[in-house]
Amino acid sequence: MTQIALEKVSRVYGDEKALQDIDLTFTDDVTTAVVGPSGSGKSTLLQVINGLVRPSHGTVFVFGEPIDYARLPELRLRIGYAVQGTGLFPHLTVEENITLLARLVKWDAEQVKARTEELMRLVNLPLSFARRYPHELSGGQQQRVGLCRAMVLNPRIFLLDEPFGALDPITRNEIQREFLHLQQMEARTIVLVTHDLREALKLAQRLVVLDRGSLVQHGTRKEILEDPANGFVRSFFQSQLEQ
Amino acid sequence: MRTAVISLVTLLSLLLGPDTAGGQTVVVGSKHFNEGYILAEISAQLLEDRGFRVERKFGLGGTLVCFEALKNGEIDLYPEYSGTLEQAILKLPHRVSHRELREILRRRFDLDLLESFGFSNTYAIAVSRGLARERGLKTISDLAKLPNLRVGFSHEFLNRQDGWPGLARTYGLPARPVGIEHGLAYHAIREKRLDVTDVYSTDGDIKKFDLVLLEDDRRYFPEYLAALLVRSGLDEQIKRILGELAGTITAAEMQGLNGQVLLERKSFAEVAQQFLREEGLLRSQGTALLGSRWGTLLFRAATHIELTLIALVAGMAVAIPGGIMIYRLRAISKPVVYLAGLLQTIPSIALLAFMIPFFGIGATPAIVALFLYALLPILRNTAAALFSIDPVLKRVSVGMGLTAWQRLRYVELPLAAPTILAGIKTAAVINIGTATLAAFIGAGGLGEPIVTGLALNDTALILEGAVPAALLAVVTEWGFEGLEKLLIPKHLLQKPAE
Repeated sequence: MTQIALEKVSRVYGDEKALQDIDLTFTDDVTTAVVGPSGSGKSTLLQVINGLVRPSHGTVFVFGEPIDYARLPELRLRIGYAVQGTGLFPHLTVEENITLLARLVKWDAEQVKARTEELMRLVNLPLSFARRYPHELSGGQQQRVGLCRAMVLNPRIFLLDEPFGALDPITRNEIQREFLHLQQMEARTIVLVTHDLREALKLAQRLVVLDRGSLVQHGTRKEILEDPANGFVRSFFQSQLEQ
Repeated sequence: MRTAVISLVTLLSLLLGPDTAGGQTVVVGSKHFNEGYILAEISAQLLEDRGFRVERKFGLGGTLVCFEALKNGEIDLYPEYSGTLEQAILKLPHRVSHRELREILRRRFDLDLLESFGFSNTYAIAVSRGLARERGLKTISDLAKLPNLRVGFSHEFLNRQDGWPGLARTYGLPARPVGIEHGLAYHAIREKRLDVTDVYSTDGDIKKFDLVLLEDDRRYFPEYLAALLVRSGLDEQIKRILGELAGTITAAEMQGLNGQVLLERKSFAEVAQQFLREEGLLRSQGTALLGSRWGTLLFRAATHIELTLIALVAGMAVAIPGGIMIYRLRAISKPVVYLAGLLQTIPSIALLAFMIPFFGIGATPAIVALFLYALLPILRNTAAALFSIDPVLKRVSVGMGLTAWQRLRYVELPLAAPTILAGIKTAAVINIGTATLAAFIGAGGLGEPIVTGLALNDTALILEGAVPAALLAVVTEWGFEGLEKLLIPKHLLQKPAE
């Protein structure tokens, strides 16, 4: 089953075209990184997949069907979503943040507890953190909680919007390793938006390059590095990787 | 402890409505000045002596409040003055006899004016004895020669046709008077901040503050015969009993009764009972005088809390959903907040007065007014708190798959809670303060001694209401702080500046 596909998708804000006529099928069960300069429409592309942004034209297919905009919450429960700066709810403890969705879909208490412990172990969070509030955790720890929260219902699709952007290099390295480990254990279809090309090359098997709302190239790491579609892709990669 | 239980029981019976099994209940009203209280208390005790239940709605704010309340059947009777009826109520162009006045009242309002108590309490103009001697003031005409005197009149006198406007015309007075609360005027004169004010000719205060009445040398002020004004529908037997009071009090006696309250600090109940006994009007031994001081205080505080609490809960029930609606429908946010703000700018006493035609007097109009005051702080804080939630958290909660209701319940309201609670706290404290004014429309509470104290120039009595009201406000603040600690994670509360 093709889990995510975009068909002639455009998104217009006034005169500005955030996405232009995009045809794109994401490969199942691998990580695809969306890269491009800022303002190229990376975040918008991610947000049309879970309906946070509704296309002006075109159709978005998720789990093989066009999105039903009247029933978005149901769809979103099947899609994990994590953002930069974690977006953890400050009034909920670590445990409450992680389990909110599970409790709302009425899992029983045993199941909720087991899942929490499983997830926290998976991302190397001490179980003693369960009762703490987000502000009592370091940036890296918060990011791990954010991942646990996105994974709690075990979604087949994962949307990650610059999830490791605000971390220091050492912590980022650590979490990136854990991310790869997670993906090895249980493959998901992951769309990762990042401004950091090195991160994209490290975590993703496939890349999507955007420029001013248009799709410039889509392929494996190797294809894009060895055969850039045009001068823009070549110079973008050169400038990014030389830094 | 016992008094607490008693006041609790009284409160309960108040909530459950008056018990009418033990004979007819008569509601006696009075304006909020000394003589009004005394005459009303005399009438009330006479009726109680003859086996009627009496509900006292004393200290109502002004002539119109009393008259409207009587017309609407909120009260059965109150002491009024013939001149006030002619001028302030009926706005008659010329003087009429007592008999004609009764005729008009019966025809137009279905009200009965009983025979006068026997004295006239007319307006008079007063100055301090020192000033009168110094400037040789004897008559009101003398005032015309002294344009620089500081003149302050009660608001009612200032605006009545038979008050200042006519007086100034008749005597050609040049003064530019200011409005001042009647009770405060005496103090202002004693402190030499005011030279001239209006008084009633039977005021006990005249003696107390050593004032001199200026002679009305052009016979401007009409007669103000004191009499009970009652609903025509009132039981004939009751009217007959009240008729026994006709002609029992002379002007000098009235000054004496006023003085007993003002100078000797006797209670209205005491003065009234003594008067009735001396006149031989009491059949029984007389009713026991009011309950203990603490019992009264607790009862007032309970009433006060009841008024505030009902208004606050109703305010929350409307303003919190209202704030949420504003948040969801941005377009209506400005008009709604402006409207609530407009309500807030209406002076409390005016808002209370507006309520009377719709809700009469007593607890209901007071609660409605307090409810209106509670709306703005809660509404504004609710909407502002929801609007200011971090947009990332809003996006995440949508993206995770929460429905609109779930977002509100699990994310938005909990995050907004500290600010909403602060709004409720503001509303509660405003309400406790404003509720003291509710006594002006007969709602009782801690405002009762304040209103009476103002009428009597009795600072101690004012404090008897003001201090508990202030304490109640402080306790409320504490209560809300405790509630915050209980309901809201510490790190979400605003920290004091470090």
